[in-house]
Amino acid sequence: MARPRALLMRFVYFTLAIASMVLNVPSAIHGSELLPEDQSIAEVVDHYISARLKQERIDAAPPANDANVLRRTTLDLVGRIPTSSETASYVNDKDEYKRRNLIDRLIGSPAFVRHQVNEFDALLMPDEKNRLREYLLAAFTENRPWDQMFREMMLGQADDPEQKGALQFVKARVGDTDRLTNDVSVTFFGVNVSCAQCHDHPDVYEWSQDRFYGMKSFFNRTFDNGGLLGEHEYGLVSYQTTEGEARKAQLMFLTGAILEEPEVAEPDDKTKKEEKEKLEELKKQKQAPPAPSFSRREQLVEIALKSGENDYFAKAIVNKLWNRFFGYGLVMPLDQMHPENPASHPELLEWLSRDLVAHNYDLSRLVRGIVSSEAYCRSSVWKGSSRPHPDTFAVGSVRPLTPYQYATLLRVATANPDSQSADQKPEDVEARLASLENAARGIAGEIEYPGPEFQVGVAEALFFSNSERVRNDLLRDSNDMLIGKLKKTDDVNELISVATMSIWNRLPDPEEEAALVAYLQSRSDRRDEAIGQMVWAMLTSSECRFNY
Amino acid sequence: MSKRRNWFCGSEEHRISRRGFLGTAAATAGSMSALNLLREPCLAAELKKQDKRVILLWLAGGASQLETWDPKPGRSTGGPFAAIPTSVPGIHISELMPKMARRMEDTAIIRSLNTKDGSHGGGARMMHLGRRDEAAVKYPDLGAVLARELGSADSRVPDNVSFYTATEGRGSAVGQAGFLGARYLPMSLTTNSKPDNLARLDSISDLDHQQRHELRELLSNRFIEYRDSSSLRSHNEAYSRVRGLMSSDKLFDVSEEPQSIRDLYGPSLFAEQCLIARRLVEAGTPFVKVSRAWWDSHGQNFETHLELVSELDHVMSTLLDDLKQRGLLENTMVITLSEFGRTPKINASLGRDHFASAWSCSLSGCGINGGTVYGATDEDGQTVKDGEVDAGDLFATIYQALGIDPHTEYHVGSRPIPLVHEKASVVTDVLA
Repeated sequence: MARPRALLMRFVYFTLAIASMVLNVPSAIHGSELLPEDQSIAEVVDHYISARLKQERIDAAPPANDANVLRRTTLDLVGRIPTSSETASYVNDKDEYKRRNLIDRLIGSPAFVRHQVNEFDALLMPDEKNRLREYLLAAFTENRPWDQMFREMMLGQADDPEQKGALQFVKARVGDTDRLTNDVSVTFFGVNVSCAQCHDHPDVYEWSQDRFYGMKSFFNRTFDNGGLLGEHEYGLVSYQTTEGEARKAQLMFLTGAILEEPEVAEPDDKTKKEEKEKLEELKKQKQAPPAPSFSRREQLVEIALKSGENDYFAKAIVNKLWNRFFGYGLVMPLDQMHPENPASHPELLEWLSRDLVAHNYDLSRLVRGIVSSEAYCRSSVWKGSSRPHPDTFAVGSVRPLTPYQYATLLRVATANPDSQSADQKPEDVEARLASLENAARGIAGEIEYPGPEFQVGVAEALFFSNSERVRNDLLRDSNDMLIGKLKKTDDVNELISVATMSIWNRLPDPEEEAALVAYLQSRSDRRDEAIGQMVWAMLTSSECRFNY
Repeated sequence: MSKRRNWFCGSEEHRISRRGFLGTAAATAGSMSALNLLREPCLAAELKKQDKRVILLWLAGGASQLETWDPKPGRSTGGPFAAIPTSVPGIHISELMPKMARRMEDTAIIRSLNTKDGSHGGGARMMHLGRRDEAAVKYPDLGAVLARELGSADSRVPDNVSFYTATEGRGSAVGQAGFLGARYLPMSLTTNSKPDNLARLDSISDLDHQQRHELRELLSNRFIEYRDSSSLRSHNEAYSRVRGLMSSDKLFDVSEEPQSIRDLYGPSLFAEQCLIARRLVEAGTPFVKVSRAWWDSHGQNFETHLELVSELDHVMSTLLDDLKQRGLLENTMVITLSEFGRTPKINASLGRDHFASAWSCSLSGCGINGGTVYGATDEDGQTVKDGEVDAGDLFATIYQALGIDPHTEYHVGSRPIPLVHEKASVVTDVLA
């Protein structure tokens, strides 16, 4: 690390509370019992998922068909649906490696980076508007390791243009240290210690008030000085226990590890006044306050990434990515990764996080591995008697699309399919898709980001039913639009095939086809309008609103 | 920590009998699997809280308690306005509220709010959520909770409506459905008094609009048949409410009211929105927030309050009269609330600043013991002298008055989340 350290640092050392550390590792499985390290991620995923299905005598749903897998993978990796020509060529592709080729192509495309940015921006800054996008775009473009991104978000140097944007994570929260403590714990470690703010956690022995205030101590010296972050040399966190005892918090990580640090005395009023004047001066010059000789925030990064202590950090991101692709985490809720709440597949979580650490926190590699598994490709249709619990991953999930995904889907689906056909040059198609993605931002702003237990609101349904914008953006019948093409298609069955391939990435089944034909034919006096209404009904159907 | 309460009666029979009881609504309610996960209220409570409604008059920016509910005449902090006696012996309020003074019998005043957060953003959020924001859990606000608790799943009227047509302070008082989900977000009116997207576009006939919806439903039902997720059904439920809600369009149209009633309320936007609020609660909407801005009187506090309090006095008293005359006040609560009050100390610009440590709110109507004052501040209004109440206590009181046990819990996944913060207690003195 480039950050200069004072001599003092040499005398600082970690004291690890070994006993409590062992107790606190979220899973007790030891590395030696896991599948070998050199096996592929996909194989390991399928091994552990199948093992549990077998053990519980659950028959998994059959694999989804090609078109479904294509749609799911494309939505998950590049945030849009496939075009009708992509669908046709994938379904007809006889190459035995076609899925691997697809994943390679999608992960290699610029749209993958853009989609990662959208997803991580929502993960890191759920209440802010696009505040980390610029940084994330640079980071994901070069596939920066996740530990490095964490380090930069915590400690980025204001004078380093590449890292400056990363600091927004802390800056946006620095006004409220409790929130900063919680958000860092939840976002990077999958642990919500906030109940321990007021009392020891009733169910989780390890989550005491000490733990919350211990985490808070990493941040209590951090402050904002005119938009630039600084860290004081002094300052302790004190709190009152539920029994009324006043305590000073120790610098304590979530595993219970306590960090020793140089003792500092609270400066006298004169020194504080001088410090304040100096800070005012720096503020005027728009310069960052000097780095402290001992940075508590830096200590957090060190301990969080230290071998043996980094379980929380690695497992949290594995769990979050797993949840993104399977609609259900290996540990649920995502912020309850504590010892009393074991993973559904502890060995799998253990193996994946070990693998992530061993491969330099390479998120793309993890994503590629997960979506390459058979478990990822199961059909979401379940016709059996009792549906298996989502934590068995026996059936494909049905997940609400994010605002960007849904809005982009609507744009891609309603564009004239001829403009993105196989006859076009690939780079032209790519550029066209990027511009549709860009145009989707307006409608995306009208859709709520789905959280846990997400319920679609009536405002969304009203918006799609009655807004001028939906009519103008999606249901226009000009030549560049799907409706423009449909209008010129005389054969009604062909018309319906073009529509369903564009919107649903599949052909209609006979009953759907009959219903759509009947709808159009009974309105032959106002055919153009009826085509628009049919397209609307398809776009707003649940099939379009979800990834399945 | 006290032992968790068990809110669910626990038996399958309870589930079934409740659905049976709800009759036609049962199919919809029963299919909302995500909600059933969250909470299954007991049958008695279900009966008890039927038809309860709330109108929240949100005095954005922070109304002064000294110029409304807690005057300090003759003190250095008191300002130029006198206190006047009310129809309830012993209760005095600011002379800026003569109409309310004549109608105190349905209203309770709480004079002892100490909510600690004197920032617009933080205070507004706290007084919407009844507690401090927490990083990891997104709490639902009062409107979302009441839409959930008092509304019915298939309601044809909106169940959470928020008027905030001023720009000042709107950002910190936005609706938040939190873990209850977007289903309970308010229908937000931010530009005029008619909701967006409630009216059909001229480019489609009413018949086609309806049949287009039917086609949508047919296609979706095929997709849903063998699939499942916590949010999948809510998608169709949202669309199935569209046509019903569109027919509530007229509720937002004050021209549907007789001129005589409109004259009573008066011509101001706040008055019109309160009249619409009355129309909505009359039609069955459980929660309406009408926001009036901007009370942030750092300078010229007394001019500002002369204008705003006089309007509040007139509109609020008209609203209470109107509700009472229609027999609606019994089951409709009217609340006046801000994000905080204002400093007793008068600053150099003849203004009052932000002040969260000793301020007031009022509750009228449903479940409220009118004609009472709870709590007291010291003679200058600097501190709470008696009966300190925080945001959680206030929310617990509101819930209790509406027949909702404030100490029940929602369950988000496996995590229990109490309706109000753990230490909150009901101010029973203001309950009927």
